[in-house]
Amino acid sequence: MLDTLSYTDVPGDRSDHEITVYALSTCGFCKRAMAFLNARGVAYRYVYMDHVPLETKNEAKKALKERYKSDVAFPFAVIDGEKPLVGFIELDWVKTLGL
Amino acid sequence: MAPKSFDQTMTFASMVAKKQGWALNPDADFTKDLVEGLATNWNRYGYFLCPCRDSDGSREADAKIICPCAPSWKDVEELGHCFCALYLDPVFAASGKEPRSIPDRRSQF
Repeated sequence: MLDTLSYTDVPGDRSDHEITVYALSTCGFCKRAMAFLNARGVAYRYVYMDHVPLETKNEAKKALKERYKSDVAFPFAVIDGEKPLVGFIELDWVKTLGL
Repeated sequence: MAPKSFDQTMTFASMVAKKQGWALNPDADFTKDLVEGLATNWNRYGYFLCPCRDSDGSREADAKIICPCAPSWKDVEELGHCFCALYLDPVFAASGKEPRSIPDRRSQF
């Protein structure tokens, strides 16, 4: 189901991890998280969930919760299709991404 | 519902902060982004949905996350700032600490 969402690819010099960011276009911490990736040249893809139609969005949130066994808050990043990073705490992102 | 401008939304946020004895986030760029987000949400949904939460589709469903959100008093008191970090405890704001994502505690309210 998550594969049906329209993601935007952000190119970067660092692509050692496959990173997907589920974000809100209105959210300060989402902007900060993506600025963090941009500043370090990390490649990722993102989707603004508030731009997704309600029914599809609710299915996507349910899929995220079930697949990653985690409450869904934004930003919600998935690293290498396995590990979720919920919210933006810079130190956690640095450690998880090995930056 | 008449649309809200950035300035009208900033006035709203400033009034909330003043009434509650909170400080607006001193990071001007971050606060600008949040106030723009609040204005976007007003113009999208008709109410000031928290800019860092996702709508569940109606005012009733979103009642606990309309700004100032239900957990904000406890979040500011215990964690130094509200969920989206628009409102800060004045002592936290003066400390120079940087707000960071905190748990969403809406289910406790």
